[in-house]
Amino acid sequence: MKHLDQEEESGVYQRAVLKNASPYHYMKVRLVLEDETSRLSAVELKQFILTGLKTLHGEVGAAINFDLLKYDEDTLTALLRVYSSGLVKLWSSLTLLGSYQNQDCAFRVHQVSPFLLALTGNSRDLQLD
Amino acid sequence: MSVDLSSTPRTLLVCERSSFQEEKNRVSTQVEQLRFNYKVSLLLPECNSLPSQLESVLDSFTSFYLIKQLPVYELLDKDFLETAVYQGNVYGLSYKTRIDEDNCVALLPNGRLCLSLDKDSFEVLGFEGKPSKFNHRTKSRFVISVDLTDRRMAPGGRGYQRLLTGLKSRLQLQTDFLLSHHPGGGASLQSLLSRCDWSEHRPQMSQRGLTELSCPAVHSCDPHSLLEWLGAVDADVTCENSSSSFLSTLACPEPKTTLSRALSVSVCGLLLPQDIQRLIDQLRCYLQQPRLESWVSLTVHGFADSPVSWGENEHGFLKGGENFYTLLMFHNHTYRLHLATGAHDACPP
Repeated sequence: MKHLDQEEESGVYQRAVLKNASPYHYMKVRLVLEDETSRLSAVELKQFILTGLKTLHGEVGAAINFDLLKYDEDTLTALLRVYSSGLVKLWSSLTLLGSYQNQDCAFRVHQVSPFLLALTGNSRDLQLD
Repeated sequence: MSVDLSSTPRTLLVCERSSFQEEKNRVSTQVEQLRFNYKVSLLLPECNSLPSQLESVLDSFTSFYLIKQLPVYELLDKDFLETAVYQGNVYGLSYKTRIDEDNCVALLPNGRLCLSLDKDSFEVLGFEGKPSKFNHRTKSRFVISVDLTDRRMAPGGRGYQRLLTGLKSRLQLQTDFLLSHHPGGGASLQSLLSRCDWSEHRPQMSQRGLTELSCPAVHSCDPHSLLEWLGAVDADVTCENSSSSFLSTLACPEPKTTLSRALSVSVCGLLLPQDIQRLIDQLRCYLQQPRLESWVSLTVHGFADSPVSWGENEHGFLKGGENFYTLLMFHNHTYRLHLATGAHDACPP
């Protein structure tokens, strides 16, 4: 360990390429409801997504761990974090969630990335007009 | 046939450590090679307000122009080629075009013109190109890359005439276009601007003060945890969660300390590598002054819809189109550099 520290201090050039090493994937999603005035709390939203996972993938799906990192109640926009191995299951169940409390709904997936940093710099948001 | 639901498209993260004083360090080359930058964000620990020398560098970032409905053949105009393209350092990128569905255009500072076209447009244009690397089986997208400084592409040459006629009379490609030039700014672009509907834009700066921020050991933290923490700070996501929380279990990587305050600064627009290089030099000077914390972090995001990312390597979107790097600089001139790309990208330099 001491040897390593010394190397770091001296600034010897080191390069490593990590392929598919990201433990998590991050998603920026927005819930669109038929009745645009209705609102969900963060807990309700997470519970709703869990229901979707259970409906599509059963108990295995319901056991997928994901985090609701940030949620804006006004725009119904959320940042989700999921283990990379659960991304496809989470994404597919979001796609197929079509009804919330007897009203039509849909999830719009704005951005998906293995890096949370990438979600803070989306060039498609650049508005110049 | 069963499909593996747990696999995800390939991602790459290149991690480098070295010192600015080490001969092998290539930071300035790497910065220069990511041409089309959308956003720069800085994290300054134990800092209340933006130091004046950094503010003046950020304020002096080159302005850029938005041209509405630019006919792409205008980029082949003889005057424009002579006054701007042949002199080098012109940066141009189509605006509000999506590389996974639209035709995209980029003009590189070395005089190369890149067109990423769907199959129909490519066939209508009738110019030599290659199938995109990322869907070579279906051949639904094609990339044309021509060196405008080449003798064959000089005005009047055969290749030039063919491309000009294709763009003028067959494909008639028009797009909103972002344009910038280093260091001349508008003067050398006048020949083009005078014929178009354009507006000038300044890079937009914003600042956010943070207090009582948990901070990992930035020297030794593993790369993915470090980038996650920086992302959480930038996205204003709280890291103060317990491991049993229902909503989120995101936590600051251990071992951690608490910063009493920090400043997060970001700039958006079409940002030039030369300006970012100046900012890095200024940050190194800033680190030489005595402070409580001896590091700063700089993150640069590339345009997700640019036809090229690092160098002249083809870039695609797939599910995120991310191409960015994070440079963590320390007081003793050492640095940690992380370069990340998504699935449709070559390995960063």
